[in-house]
Amino acid sequence: MNEEKKNTSGKSRVGGAIFFAGFIVALVFGWVLSPNLIYSQRMQPMQFSHVAHQDSSCEDCHFFREDGTYSGIPRIEKCKECHEAPMGETEDERILVEEYIQKDREIPWRVYAWQPDNVYFSHAPHKAGGMECVACHRDVSSEEKLPPYQENRLTGYSKNTMKMDACEKCHADRGISNNCNTCHK
Amino acid sequence: MMFGRRAFLQFAAGAVGGTLLSPLPWKLADDSAIWSQNWSWRPSPERGPITKKATICTLCEGGCGIRARLVNGNRAVLLEGNPEHPINRGGICPLAASGLQFLYAPYRITQPIKQTQKRGEASGFKPIPWDEAMSELLDKLVNLRTGGTPHAVACITGQGQGSMRDLWQQFFDAYGSPNFFQMPSHSDSLKLAAFLTLGKEEPLAFALEKASYILSFGSDLIGGWGSPGRMLALWGDWNAAQSENKTPSAKIIQIESRCSMSAAKADRWIPIIPGSEAALALGIAHVMVKENLYDTSYVATNVFGFEDWTDSQGKARQGFKSFLLASENSLEEASRRTGLEPAKIVELAKDFATQPNAVAVWGKSRDLPEKVHHELAFLALNVLKGNLKSQGMISLAPSVPLGPMPQVLADEVAQQGLARKSLDQVKAQDIPLSRKSLYGFLKNLSEAPSYPIEVLMIHEANPAYSLPGNQVFQKAIQKVGWVVSFSSYMDETSLQADIILPNHTAFERYDDVIGVPGLPQAYYAVAAPILPPQWNTRHSGDVLLQMSKNMGGSVADALPWKSYDAFLQDRVKGLAASGRGAVAQTSARQLQETPEGASPKANYKDGADLWKKLASGQCWYDAPQNPLQLVQSPSGKIELAFQSLQSKELEAGKDEQCLPNFSSIALSGNEKEYPLTLVSYQALFLSHGYLPNPPFMTKTLWDFILRNDDSFVELHPETARSLGLDEGNRAVLKTPAGECIVRVHLFPGARLDVIYMPQGLGHKAYDQYIQSKGANPNELLEVQMDPVSGLGTAWAARAQLRRA
Ligand code: SF4
Repeated sequence: MNEEKKNTSGKSRVGGAIFFAGFIVALVFGWVLSPNLIYSQRMQPMQFSHVAHQDSSCEDCHFFREDGTYSGIPRIEKCKECHEAPMGETEDERILVEEYIQKDREIPWRVYAWQPDNVYFSHAPHKAGGMECVACHRDVSSEEKLPPYQENRLTGYSKNTMKMDACEKCHADRGISNNCNTCHK
Repeated sequence: MMFGRRAFLQFAAGAVGGTLLSPLPWKLADDSAIWSQNWSWRPSPERGPITKKATICTLCEGGCGIRARLVNGNRAVLLEGNPEHPINRGGICPLAASGLQFLYAPYRITQPIKQTQKRGEASGFKPIPWDEAMSELLDKLVNLRTGGTPHAVACITGQGQGSMRDLWQQFFDAYGSPNFFQMPSHSDSLKLAAFLTLGKEEPLAFALEKASYILSFGSDLIGGWGSPGRMLALWGDWNAAQSENKTPSAKIIQIESRCSMSAAKADRWIPIIPGSEAALALGIAHVMVKENLYDTSYVATNVFGFEDWTDSQGKARQGFKSFLLASENSLEEASRRTGLEPAKIVELAKDFATQPNAVAVWGKSRDLPEKVHHELAFLALNVLKGNLKSQGMISLAPSVPLGPMPQVLADEVAQQGLARKSLDQVKAQDIPLSRKSLYGFLKNLSEAPSYPIEVLMIHEANPAYSLPGNQVFQKAIQKVGWVVSFSSYMDETSLQADIILPNHTAFERYDDVIGVPGLPQAYYAVAAPILPPQWNTRHSGDVLLQMSKNMGGSVADALPWKSYDAFLQDRVKGLAASGRGAVAQTSARQLQETPEGASPKANYKDGADLWKKLASGQCWYDAPQNPLQLVQSPSGKIELAFQSLQSKELEAGKDEQCLPNFSSIALSGNEKEYPLTLVSYQALFLSHGYLPNPPFMTKTLWDFILRNDDSFVELHPETARSLGLDEGNRAVLKTPAGECIVRVHLFPGARLDVIYMPQGLGHKAYDQYIQSKGANPNELLEVQMDPVSGLGTAWAARAQLRRA
């Protein structure tokens, strides 16, 4: 009898350990591995250094248009203003001039904060509300290289795309309407 | 230790617990929800700076100003009415609102293609380079000229009033063929009425802006009559005036057998027997004359042929007055013909006669001529009212003094070709006012043409679908050697072509609008492209110019421009040189308010400046003209007995042939077999001409017009009951011309024993969103040739309807 009892408790201890091992493996997978596995790392079509452009102000490239819409990432026309001819000898400079400026093609930048089409987002009221760019976007002021773009393998969206709960939370904190049609028009 | 089944389950249970405490399941659930936002076939609008470009709409002849909204300057996302344009004042019709669907349509022809199998075989078209396609056409045209048979080349264009039409005409004159045709239009017969009455073959215009009372004889005023843009803006004014109880608001009396959109919104709807509108006009005229309600002093001074008269041979002829008072035009007769109580006719006549700015308008459709005698009856009613005078309600649409075409110095071959009668005229000796008739051409071609047509060019027209009685086109095209289509779309006619040289769409090219149907002011506008061509297409004008240049000689001399844009600029230079008219600056009603004869002060510097203004979406206009100063009839007066017709010895001795008169339509088919009458109607929410109904517009159709793939006919509930039919039943509709399957919609606004069928459905070409939706009444209608003009009129047929 006793032996049997001993045996059982030994078994259950082992069983608990196996359960715990499964638990830990799943936790590690869920918390540590999966967030990396679910995203694929994509490189931008060419490199860009914000630091190298510090002689311009942010608004030179990222400005509000006359109609109040936000220009976002500059178009090739803007690059052309300075880079019509190569301004250095790097490979990226060559790509910029030969592949895009000379062929008059837009650079297919991957946009880190790209919002889906069903979201109506306007920068103007957020700026007017006194928000800093870095409240939502990364600080690029000392950035030499563009970070890799992390694309969700399932949805195709950028890892940095702000999700609805973040929008809602900020709106709620500031007493801004969270009615559906505030963002989904 | 063995990892047994039990251990596995323990591990799995732990893993489940761990997973649930990690963000993974929630992340996956969330991601799978937004995964659907990224399906590759989900349309995604382009992002970028938004710009607007103002231009002129050329989807119909209405001459409206529109604005396109563009993303990045090269993706058009919206068309809206231009609030600064004086014709439509910001309004837009459903066709233009959905117009961008033509630009991005999957059924566009994106490059030249050539039929490699039997004609009509959709899969037989194979791409060929532009150079090859052009030289193939050039070789054919050159060979026919070398062989001395330039008249074997024909063209049908759907562009009625524009410089492209004039360029085609110039080409045919220089090349040497008389066989240039346009798709039928109401202005064909309207111009003849003006010719017989005033001696000038110009379209008539109506100053509806100042009307206080409009008798509309079957004209669906907000359903597409005249310029839809102008009419919608005007109707808005009338509504606003009425709701604010302000004057002036026009009182609208809608006379037609069906309760159309205009009838439903009019002040009064007078339902009459279909096709008897002209009889009512004569009935009203009868009452006005009999009761002395007409403008006696106006008629005495300005009108010839009201009283009995003597012709040049000294023969006594009947005048309009005694004709109206004769027993065949009695009030009772008018009542019998129209189905209206005599008292109602008298009431209408009194109202019309006493209102200060009353006008009668007519014309069922912009695309179909009417019987000339009926046109004359409506016009005569206006003459009795004294409407054709200085500052009157009706005038002649002024011409636009564009730069003239260079004179054609036809060479010998061209002269020989032009000396031949055009194919429609070979059997037209008995037609007194014979004009170019597409029906005449197609009919003769399909029967026994006196000479063959080797090359038929079809430009922006789809007669295989949109021509009433389109069977005649199908037969005629069998006899043509080689068919060239210039369409941008794979429509029913393009399908029958041997080669297609696709044009740009209306939004990718320069075009112009010369005059607006029904507008008393002179009007000219340039439609500039809103974006560059999306595909490997070419402006048909450029193709024609290139062709002429390569032909050399007198043909090249007659068409000397290096591009179609250059040609238009040249014309505008001529307009500027005339010094006449001005550019309308804003939507302000200055265009309508410019007094007659007082040409506005030119506000452009020179041709280049005028071109710049026009190309930016503005329009040129000039004052209306006094019709009395333009009369060139044999008597020098407005004629109600038509000496020009009489001199053609029309049925010698029969005076009524030279007077406005009414004859009821004698439809073919046995009355027993076909006890009902089929009448087709047009509506603003269904495109029925060259352009198919875009899917956005189809979305707006009620499910009693189109349900799944069946279209509906309207039937009075009592008629339906007598046929054993109920709402939504499927039925076979048969006429002597053909039959189709329809569904039945019970509509108390229909007349007893009449079947109403909309135009614009039943396509067999294009793509899955357009084809096989409903039935096409053009396959069922009967075309009747007007004995005076030889023009085909078609809007009805005898019919039977039985449960399917
Ligand atoms: S009415 Fe004619 S011209 Fe005016 S917007 Fe519509 S299609 Fe264009």
